[in-house]
Amino acid sequence: MDEPMADAPGAQVKVTFTTTEADLQLAESKRQLLVPADIRRYGLSRVLNSESMLDTGSIPFDFLVNGSFLRTSLEDYLASNGLSVETNLTLQYVRSLIPPTYEASFEHDDWVSAVDVLSRTSPSGRWSGDSFQLSQERILSASYDGLLRIWNASGQIITTSPSGSRGGHTASVKAAKFLTNSQLASAGMDRTVRVWKYTETDQFSGDLKPTLELYGHTGSVDSLEVDGASKRLLTASADGAIGFWSTSKVSAPEADASLLPGAHASKRRKVTTSVTAAQRGPLSLMQIHSAPASAAVFDPRDRTVAYSVSQDHTVRTIDLTTSSVVSTMSTSHPLLSLCAIPRAGGAPLLAAGTAARHITLVDPRASAATTSVMTLRGHTNKVVGLSPSPDNEYSLVSGSHDGTCRIWDLRSVRPATKDEGGLGSVSEPVYVIERESRRGSKKVVAGEGCKVFGVVWDGLGIFSGGEDKKVQVNSGRNVLAE
Amino acid sequence: MAPKITDKKRKAREPESESDDELANGLFDGVLSQSEDEEDYLPSDDDDVDESGSEGSDGSEDEEGEEEDEDDLLSDDIPSDVDGEEEVSKLIRKQGQLKITEPGVDPKPRDDDGEEKNYRVERDANGGERYVYDEIDPVYDSDDSDAQGPVNTIGNIPLSFYDSYPHIGYDINGKKIMRPATGDALQSLLDSIEVPKGWTGLTDVNTGNPLNLTQEELELVRRVQMGLLPNEIEDPYPDTIEYFTSIEEKMPLSSAPEPKRRFLPSKNEAKQVMKLVRAIREGRILPYKPPAEREREEEEQEEVHFDLWQNEEPQAPNPLHIPAPKLPPPGYDLSYNPPEEYLPSKEEREEWENADPEDREKQYLPQKYNALRKVPAWGTLVNERFERCMDLYLAPRVRKNRLNIDPNSLLPKLPSPSELKPFPTVVQTVFRGHEGRVRSVAIDPTGIALATGGDDGTVRVWELLTGRQVWSVKLNSEEPVNAVRWRPAKDSFILAAATGEDVFLMVPAHASVTPALDQTSRDILAVGFGYATNGQQQALPAGKEPPAKWARPGTKLEDEGVLIRITVRSTVKVINWHRRGDHFATVSPTGQRSSVAIHTLSKHLTQIPFRKLSGLAQTAAFHPLRPLFFVATQRTIRCYDLQKLELVKVVQPGAKWISSFDIHPGGDNLIVGSYDKRLLWHDLDLSNRPYKTMRFHGEAIRQVRFHKGGLPLFADASDDGSLQIFHGRVPNDQLENPTIVPVKILKGHKVVSKLGVLDIDWHPKEPWCVSAGADGTARLWM
Repeated sequence: MDEPMADAPGAQVKVTFTTTEADLQLAESKRQLLVPADIRRYGLSRVLNSESMLDTGSIPFDFLVNGSFLRTSLEDYLASNGLSVETNLTLQYVRSLIPPTYEASFEHDDWVSAVDVLSRTSPSGRWSGDSFQLSQERILSASYDGLLRIWNASGQIITTSPSGSRGGHTASVKAAKFLTNSQLASAGMDRTVRVWKYTETDQFSGDLKPTLELYGHTGSVDSLEVDGASKRLLTASADGAIGFWSTSKVSAPEADASLLPGAHASKRRKVTTSVTAAQRGPLSLMQIHSAPASAAVFDPRDRTVAYSVSQDHTVRTIDLTTSSVVSTMSTSHPLLSLCAIPRAGGAPLLAAGTAARHITLVDPRASAATTSVMTLRGHTNKVVGLSPSPDNEYSLVSGSHDGTCRIWDLRSVRPATKDEGGLGSVSEPVYVIERESRRGSKKVVAGEGCKVFGVVWDGLGIFSGGEDKKVQVNSGRNVLAE
Repeated sequence: MAPKITDKKRKAREPESESDDELANGLFDGVLSQSEDEEDYLPSDDDDVDESGSEGSDGSEDEEGEEEDEDDLLSDDIPSDVDGEEEVSKLIRKQGQLKITEPGVDPKPRDDDGEEKNYRVERDANGGERYVYDEIDPVYDSDDSDAQGPVNTIGNIPLSFYDSYPHIGYDINGKKIMRPATGDALQSLLDSIEVPKGWTGLTDVNTGNPLNLTQEELELVRRVQMGLLPNEIEDPYPDTIEYFTSIEEKMPLSSAPEPKRRFLPSKNEAKQVMKLVRAIREGRILPYKPPAEREREEEEQEEVHFDLWQNEEPQAPNPLHIPAPKLPPPGYDLSYNPPEEYLPSKEEREEWENADPEDREKQYLPQKYNALRKVPAWGTLVNERFERCMDLYLAPRVRKNRLNIDPNSLLPKLPSPSELKPFPTVVQTVFRGHEGRVRSVAIDPTGIALATGGDDGTVRVWELLTGRQVWSVKLNSEEPVNAVRWRPAKDSFILAAATGEDVFLMVPAHASVTPALDQTSRDILAVGFGYATNGQQQALPAGKEPPAKWARPGTKLEDEGVLIRITVRSTVKVINWHRRGDHFATVSPTGQRSSVAIHTLSKHLTQIPFRKLSGLAQTAAFHPLRPLFFVATQRTIRCYDLQKLELVKVVQPGAKWISSFDIHPGGDNLIVGSYDKRLLWHDLDLSNRPYKTMRFHGEAIRQVRFHKGGLPLFADASDDGSLQIFHGRVPNDQLENPTIVPVKILKGHKVVSKLGVLDIDWHPKEPWCVSAGADGTARLWM
C-alpha cells in the first residue's frame, strides 16, 4: 500500500531535529525539514553540518529515533517499525561516537587480570599533582603469574615487580591500581594487599619496591580501589569482607598474626622472603556479605562513602567513617563488577556487572523510586570489568568473559521487552571491541581463551587485559568529537 | 583471631557431635545384613548339584559292581597257558558245581544261566524250599509287551468269582492284587457328575478300576462302530492321477528350430506403423486432443446427471422397482402462515443461525406471511433436491464427528520454563587441562573452588568463575581418579579423591587458604592417627585382614597437601560424605561383600556394614537429615536406619541397572538415574514405585543431582553428551504432588567413544552447575 510511495524516487520524510546539547541548538524555524526517505546517518549529519543549518563544519552526529540509534536509512527504519512515510519523525541528534579502533597489544607471559593507567586525565595523574610530567604516561598490568608490569605508552616494559621469593605476590595478582606516579597497590589470590614504591631512573627503566604488606582477608582479594588523595585502599575479597586500608605504615594497625605466612610452623611449603616489607592490618574489615564480595568502589564525590557488590546479589552502601552498612539493595543476580558513574546532580549511578550477562544500573539513593534504573544487555558471558568514560557521564565500557569489551551509551534507551522481564528500560551496546588476537579465527564457545578480566577507559585509550595474555589498546580519545 | 573462631566453631559443634550416637556410635561393621528381603536372591543350584552328585556316585558304584562281574566272567573265559585237558576238566568241574538240567547245551549259555541267578531260595512256612523269582525287568528289546503294571493272572474267569474276597486275583509273583477301594455312593455320584476326561462309566474287567479311555481309543471305538477303517490312514482307494494322458504339457518338448518369424521384424507391422507415423506427421491423426477440447469433454463427462424418475409411470408394486420416495406431508410449521406457537423465538432463531447446518434439527425456520402472495421462493430448493438425490444414490457422505475439545486442555497444566527462572542456560566457563576424560567434579562448600578428577590420574582445583587452574596433584599414573568430593563443612578445606583401590584425603594448597584454615583442616585429618596409636581401635580377630589401611601417602604427596591414603580391597568408584563431615561412604562395585564401606575420619576407622549384600552395590549415600543410609544395587535401593540397624525401606525404581541416585535435601524424595536411559522420581512416603518416569535421553544416564542450596532444581547427565535441567518443586503440603518440569537441555559436551557427560555438581547457592565430560573438559553452566 505504502510501498510504491516509498519506492518512488523523491519520497520525502518530514523530520524534526531536537537535541539536548546547549551549544548545538538549531533555530526554531530550521528544526522541521523534509529529507529524502533513503537518507542515512551520514547524510543527516551532513545536512545538520551544512551552512544553512548549524554551520559547524564536520561534527559527526548520531541520531536517536525513539530511544535507539538510527543505523539504517530512514525508509528502512519506517518500514521495519511499520510506520507510514508521512509520519513526522523526531530525530534527536548527539555527537557521534567514533569507533574505538585497535591500536596495539602488549604481550604477557600469563593471563592479564587487571590494567590501570597513569595519565594526565586519570585519577592517579590528578592525585600526582605537579610531579606528573607530560610524557610520563604509564600502564600497569597485573598478571596471573603473580607479577606486576609497568609499560610506557609505546608498549615497552619499564619494570616488573619482584617475584614471590623477593617480596612480591606469592600467587596470582587479581587487581592493581596506581595511587600516584610513585606509588601503586596490588592485591591477589595470596590474600594480601601490597603497596609498592615506584621510582623511575629514566624514561625506560624503573624500580618497584614493596613497602607494605597488608593482611586481613581470609580469601582471594578480587578487587582493589584506591584513593590517592587520602591514601586509602578499598578491597573486596572472596571471604565476603570489604577491607579499608591505609597505605602509610604509621597509620595502619598491626596485622593479625594468625594470617601472616609462617604462622603455623607445620606448613611445609613456606615462602622465605629475602626482602621484608612492613606487615600491617586493615583500618577496618567489614564482614558484610554472605557470599564472595566481588568489587567495592568509593563514591566519586565523597570518599567516606563506598559501595560494594557481591555474589550474594546485593549492592551495599558503606559509611567508611563508622564502618557500617547504610543501605542494602538486592538485585536478582550475583554481581561481579562495579563502577560508579558520577552524575552532575548528586549521587553517582552505579553500574554493576552480573553473572547473568548484563549490567544493571543502580541508583543508590535511598529516595530513588526504583533501584534498578536500566539494564544494559548484549554480553554473552559474565561481566567482570567496568570503567566509566573519562570524558562524559553517559558512557561506559564493560569487559566480559565472552571475550569482548562493549561501549554503552546510556542515552540510548528502549523499554524492555517481555522476554527481558518487561520492567524498566534496556540499552544495547554502541560498539563491540573484539579481542585482536581472536580476529579472523572461529568464534569460540563461552569466550574460551579470550576472556577479558579487566578494562579501563582513559584519555589514552581503552585498555583491556584478558586470557589471551595481552593488554589490548583501543583508541578511546576521540570517541566523542569535541 | 582465626583459631578462636575455630575453637568456637568446634564448641558449637560439640552438642551436634553428641548426637552422633544416631549413627550407632559409628560402629557399622556387619550390622546391616540382608536377611530381611530375599527378593533379589536367586536360589543357588547347590541342592540340585548335590542330588546330581549323589546320583552320579550311585551310578558309578553300580558300574563298579558290573565291572567286577565282568572280570569274573573274563577270568573264567580266558584260558591261560594250560593245556586242553586241564581246560576241559576245569569246565567239567565248574559244570558240576552249577546245576545243569539240560545236557547237550553248549557250556557258554549254561555259564550265563549260572550267573543270572534271577531267583532267591527262601524257606516257606512248612520249612520247604521256595524259589522266589526276581521281577523281570522288561528291557526295551524284550518282546514282552504286557509288562506294564501288575497284571491279573486269574485267567479267563469272571471277576464275580472274587466278589466275596478282599482281593481280585494274583499278579505274576503270586501276590494278591487287592480290590481297588470303591468310594461310597456319593463319591461315585460326584465322580460321575464331574466327568473326568476319557470317562466311560465302565469298569475294567481285570482290575475293577473305572475304565478310562484315551481320546485315541475313543476315536478308534467310534470308527469301528461307524464301520470305517480302525486307523485313520489315507484313503486306500485314491483316484488315479493320469500323469501321462490328461495333463497338458506347458513346456514344448519339440526340438524343432525356432521359426524365423520369431526373430525377424515383421514387414507388415513396420508398414502399419509407418502408415500411422505418416498420418501423424500429416496431421490426419492427432495424438492428443487440444487441451481446451479435452477439458470440455471431461466436464461434459462429469456433468452427466439425469432424473431417475423422469419418465416414471405408475406401476404395480414390484420388488425390482424403486418408486420415487414420498416426501413427508407438510406440517403447520411449513405453512406460510403458521400459528404463533410454531414461530421461533428470538433465542431459538439465534441458536439456529449459530449452529452448523449439519447440527440443525430442521433445515428451515417457520416464517409467517400475511398473504400467500408475499411468500418468496424457497431459497434452498436446489440444495435440498441435490441432497435428496444423493440420498437416493446412496452416496456416502461422511459426517464429521467434531470433537469440541481444545487439545491444549488435555495437556497437564505445567508452568512455562520462563516462569521458573533462574536455571542454567549456557556454558560460561570451560575448564580445559585434563588429558583424557574428566570423571568427577565437585564444587567446594563456599562455591569458590572447583575440584575435578580425570583419567590422567590427576586431581585439579580450579577457580570456578575464571576457569584458572590453581592446584593439581598426580595421584596415580595408571588408573583414573574416579571420584572427588569435598568435605561438606565450611570450617575445613578437605577433598577426598578415589583412584584405584585408594582413597586420598587432601588439603589442596590453594593460595587463598589461610594458614588457620589450612591448619584446622590438617588437624581434622591428623586426629585419627592419635586415635589409632592409642589403641582405641577395635581389636580385629587374629588373622583377619582389616577392611582398609589408613596411612600417610609419602612425603612427595604430602608436600602437595595429600595427607591420608586409605587402601581398601577393590576399586572405589563412589565417595559420599555424611553431612557432618566425619563419616564418608565409599562404594566399590567389584568388591563382593566389602563393596560398601563407611569410613570414620576422626578415628581412622573403616567398617563394612554389610556381611552379605544381594546384588552388586552401585552407589550409596547418607540421608541429608536423618540417620538413614541408602545403598543402591543394580535394581533396588535399600534404606537402612543406622540407629536401629535395620532395613527401613526398599525402593524399586523398575530400572534395569541403576547408575546413580540423589536424595532431595528435604529428605522425602529421591531421583534415580539408570543406564537404561531413565530418570525416575520417587516419593519415599508415597510408594516404593516411581512417582514419575522420564525417558528423555537417548543414551544412558550417568549421574543425577539435586540442587542443595534451596533452589528447586535437579539435573541429570547422560552419555548422549547433554545435561537436562529440571524444575522439581516439592510442596510443603503433604497432600500435594511434586511439580516436575523439564526446563533446559544443555548441549556442548562432545561424545567420545560413546561416553558423554560423566558427572555433575551444583553450586551450593546459585543456579549454576558444573559438568564433567568425556571430551576432557569440565564446563560451568549458568
